[in-house]
Amino acid sequence: MYEAYALGALDPPERAALEAHLGTGCAECAKAVAEARWLAAQLAYLAPESSTSDMLKGRLMQTVRSEAKAKSSSPVSATSRTTPAGIPYWLSAGIAALLLLTLHFAWDAHRVKEELRAANERNQRNEQMVASTENERVAIRQKLAAMEEQMAKMHRETAILTDPASVKIMLAAQKIQAPQMVAMWHAKYGIVLTGQKVPMPSGNRVLQLWLIPKAPGGKPMPSMTVRPDANGNFVVLVSNPPAAGSDTKALAITEEPAGGSAAPTTTPKWVGAMT
Amino acid sequence: MFLAAFSPKDNREASPDVALVRLLLQNDVGAFETIYNKYSRIVYSLVLRIVQQSGPAEEVVQDVFLQLWRNSAQYDAARGPFMPWLLTLARNRALDTLRLKSERQRRLENQTDELFSVVVAPQYEEELDQKRRAERVRSLVGELNPQQKRAIELAYFQGLSHSEIAAELKEPLGTVKSWIRNGLIRLKEGLHTAS
Repeated sequence: MYEAYALGALDPPERAALEAHLGTGCAECAKAVAEARWLAAQLAYLAPESSTSDMLKGRLMQTVRSEAKAKSSSPVSATSRTTPAGIPYWLSAGIAALLLLTLHFAWDAHRVKEELRAANERNQRNEQMVASTENERVAIRQKLAAMEEQMAKMHRETAILTDPASVKIMLAAQKIQAPQMVAMWHAKYGIVLTGQKVPMPSGNRVLQLWLIPKAPGGKPMPSMTVRPDANGNFVVLVSNPPAAGSDTKALAITEEPAGGSAAPTTTPKWVGAMT
Repeated sequence: MFLAAFSPKDNREASPDVALVRLLLQNDVGAFETIYNKYSRIVYSLVLRIVQQSGPAEEVVQDVFLQLWRNSAQYDAARGPFMPWLLTLARNRALDTLRLKSERQRRLENQTDELFSVVVAPQYEEELDQKRRAERVRSLVGELNPQQKRAIELAYFQGLSHSEIAAELKEPLGTVKSWIRNGLIRLKEGLHTAS
């Protein structure tokens, strides 16, 4: 039972019973559970070996260096934020569109859940069709998972766009004829970068967001890449910015090869200072 | 008799990982990079196996290592070795992602259980390097019958309960419970023998 508990495989009544017992302070069972947790962790080695991208390490190390520097130079960091000014019409329209899409996906998710329930029922009724309904169930579950992931992303984007605690950054085009971009930065939820009628990057190239550190000599920190849609529109969510807003001087957008770069290879096409 | 072999390591104070984590408390970037270089591969492999997509997997890995960096004080060496703790943290984060918990839900949850989970290393956790241990674990689990292995994988990588696994595999609940229990006991004994 300890092993199953450590795996999280116990069904709720059994788990509750064991946790109630552990709550009595039984040292022997607590030790057995701790040992089982160690054993369960060894199962990680069953995963096929894969390596993270260099960009992930780059982003992490820049964040860590930046935070280490901030901690050593200022014991108390100021975290006050300005409240953004009114949201422009086009951004309000974007929020409305997001909300509509959320409703749409919520309905779709409901529909897919119904399909899943029906597939389960069919599965139970007809054991001879187990193989085909199983495939159907897996396909529907994957579809549902993708939709719910999309919904979670939209909820987060909506929270960033609507929370008064978000900071608005206008990114002006540099030496090109293009509309400005808008970024909304929320200290907890991340950054939403939006663009409309943005010129398409050439070939397979992408637009990449950079965070310019306040620290003198600090290198730009790589963030997300995006290609606008056919109309030049895009919305990008940065869930975990590589630096805090308080350590960032400006945001910049460059054109980079597909997949992005660890350091900018072109001059910024859009730049916006943190206010 | 066998369980008597399990007890926390007496020399845990000297563990290089514990020393590195202590350096994180002093904002030592080099210590963080050493930990990342040492464990990012296994952490990413685990997370990718669970969430199945490289983009979300990298987000989870970033989340896990930033949490380690920002909350290293929450790792208590007296409660167990570092790597199983880190892997437990990563697995829980990945399963959260798999279950599509929103960030808002996650914040509402009390994460202290996860951070303070006690993990006791058995004495046989000698200095097996990661490669050797990976080979050993794969070999031992590979010796299980396919359904038994599948049941354990469904529990570990998909976070399914006994009942859910029984439904998934269309096997009696009692059979699934036995498979998982006996499979893990064989793994435990195999690792013990390897030491």
